[in-house]
Amino acid sequence: MIQVTGLTRRYGSVLAVSDLSFSIKEGEIVGFLGPNGAGKTTTMNMLTGCLRPSAGTIMLGGFDIDTDAAEARKKIGYLPETPPLYPDMTVEEYLDFVYRLKQCKLPQEEHIRQVCTMVGLTDVYGRIIRNLSKGYRQRVGLAQALIGNPDILILDEPTVGLDPKQIIEIRETIRSLGQNHTVILSSHILPEVQAVCDRILVIHHGKIVADGTSAELSERMEGAEQLDMTIEGEPAGVLSTLRAVPGVAEAIVTQEDGKKSIYRITAEPDADIRHSVFDALSQNHMPILSMQQVELSLEDIFLELTETEAVEPEEEPEKKKRRLFGRKRGADK
Amino acid sequence: MNAIRKRDLQGFFRSPLGYVYIGAFLAVMNLYFFATCVLSSSSDVSSVFSNMLIVFLFLMPILTMRLFSEDYKQGTDRLLLTAPISVWAIVGGKFLAAIGVLLRALLGTVPWLLIILLFGTPSWSAILGCYIAVLCAAAIFAAMGMFLSSLTESQLIAAVLSFALFLGLYVADMLSYSMGTDGLLGSILNWFSIFTRYDTFMSGQFSLGNLIYFLSLTGLFLYLTARVLERRRM
Repeated sequence: MIQVTGLTRRYGSVLAVSDLSFSIKEGEIVGFLGPNGAGKTTTMNMLTGCLRPSAGTIMLGGFDIDTDAAEARKKIGYLPETPPLYPDMTVEEYLDFVYRLKQCKLPQEEHIRQVCTMVGLTDVYGRIIRNLSKGYRQRVGLAQALIGNPDILILDEPTVGLDPKQIIEIRETIRSLGQNHTVILSSHILPEVQAVCDRILVIHHGKIVADGTSAELSERMEGAEQLDMTIEGEPAGVLSTLRAVPGVAEAIVTQEDGKKSIYRITAEPDADIRHSVFDALSQNHMPILSMQQVELSLEDIFLELTETEAVEPEEEPEKKKRRLFGRKRGADK
Repeated sequence: MNAIRKRDLQGFFRSPLGYVYIGAFLAVMNLYFFATCVLSSSSDVSSVFSNMLIVFLFLMPILTMRLFSEDYKQGTDRLLLTAPISVWAIVGGKFLAAIGVLLRALLGTVPWLLIILLFGTPSWSAILGCYIAVLCAAAIFAAMGMFLSSLTESQLIAAVLSFALFLGLYVADMLSYSMGTDGLLGSILNWFSIFTRYDTFMSGQFSLGNLIYFLSLTGLFLYLTARVLERRRM
């Protein structure tokens, strides 16, 4: 349904999106995940034809967004980060306007009513958009994207600024939309992507750093075990002792507190270091006050992926797109 | 195109701005009409119309400032740019909305014709010429103002820029008067002056050259606006 190859976008000398390639099948719900400024919005703007890529091609349902613009745009419904609403119109007038703007062929009244029911707008149908709450405005924005029943929905941070109840409602709406539409949504909120999407693309510094289902992403990190420990002793001495233990990949101070600092120790893949760490510390008379195994959530994976990228801005070309089932992270170093 | 025209026209009259705008225009113009036609019992409206362009010079920036700047600010330009329509439809729709407001303002001057009809003998061809001329000249201002509005997110900056441009054109026109048409600069300024051409139109001389000038200058700024929209995708 969506085929993107070599997508690149420069703003002056800044590279916002760099050589992005991916394809999305019909009916998939895909989440773009990444910290702010990762290039999610830029990518979405290019997918919708708001912004022209510096290089690369985008095919939407077989139409090139650049050469077959009108046909390709008929395939997409776009909800930008701030919903594109005219505050002086009523919901009804606004949706009528969008209907005519999109040169929709479906029976007007019936179609608009259907869309309103789908996103829960029937109560505020006659109200002026200016007076609506943020949650309702977001829904009007979503309704706007749905007018014309496009095959592809592109939603840029659809739940931003909503209260928890509204977030759940919007998520449910998106999930139900996924039954008949191909959906791309962006977010920097992990549970959201986890809850809604079939597939996650982690984007950082304009590149895809991971691609897979949320289960696959977690699996990828299972080898690297981490411990949080409170240890009594001089931090410098404790660190050198920890680092000397075989199987320890990295040890850092997470919270310095005189002689009782908290450390985070990362093990090398598939190594249980608890015994050897205990032995090493007790030999050096550094009592362990607490030891806890860190459960890696998607959140940690996300941070790991994005932080690693930040310290390694220059990569060899073959490392550009790290596949989930490729090398383990530890092996990269 | 029609959807955008309708929306923008509606948007203008949703706020008090539309009514204040037309009210201000009619108040000033009625005063002119009263002073030049009613008090001196003249049925010649051309002097009223020749002042009308000056009034539009002040009022046009307020009409055109919102055309694109407001969309940029609200983010609704995204909606327009992702719709399956060309930039020409967007530019055309917005321009026609501005012209629609102008027409409504001009509609308010129809009572003058009734007054003249009641108390004098109107020259219909001259009056029709006046209306066409003011519409053509104001269309240039509208296109220029819309172009400047497409350059900025701020309505205020758009209005100030348009006002500066219109006033600059007016000053250039006055300059061409004082310099005469003997010198090169004077004749160039004179040739380019919207106001000089407008006055020629007003005096009852219809010239195809003038009409082409008005239409092509309007077209030029519509084209430039469309280019700016294209550039925003770059």
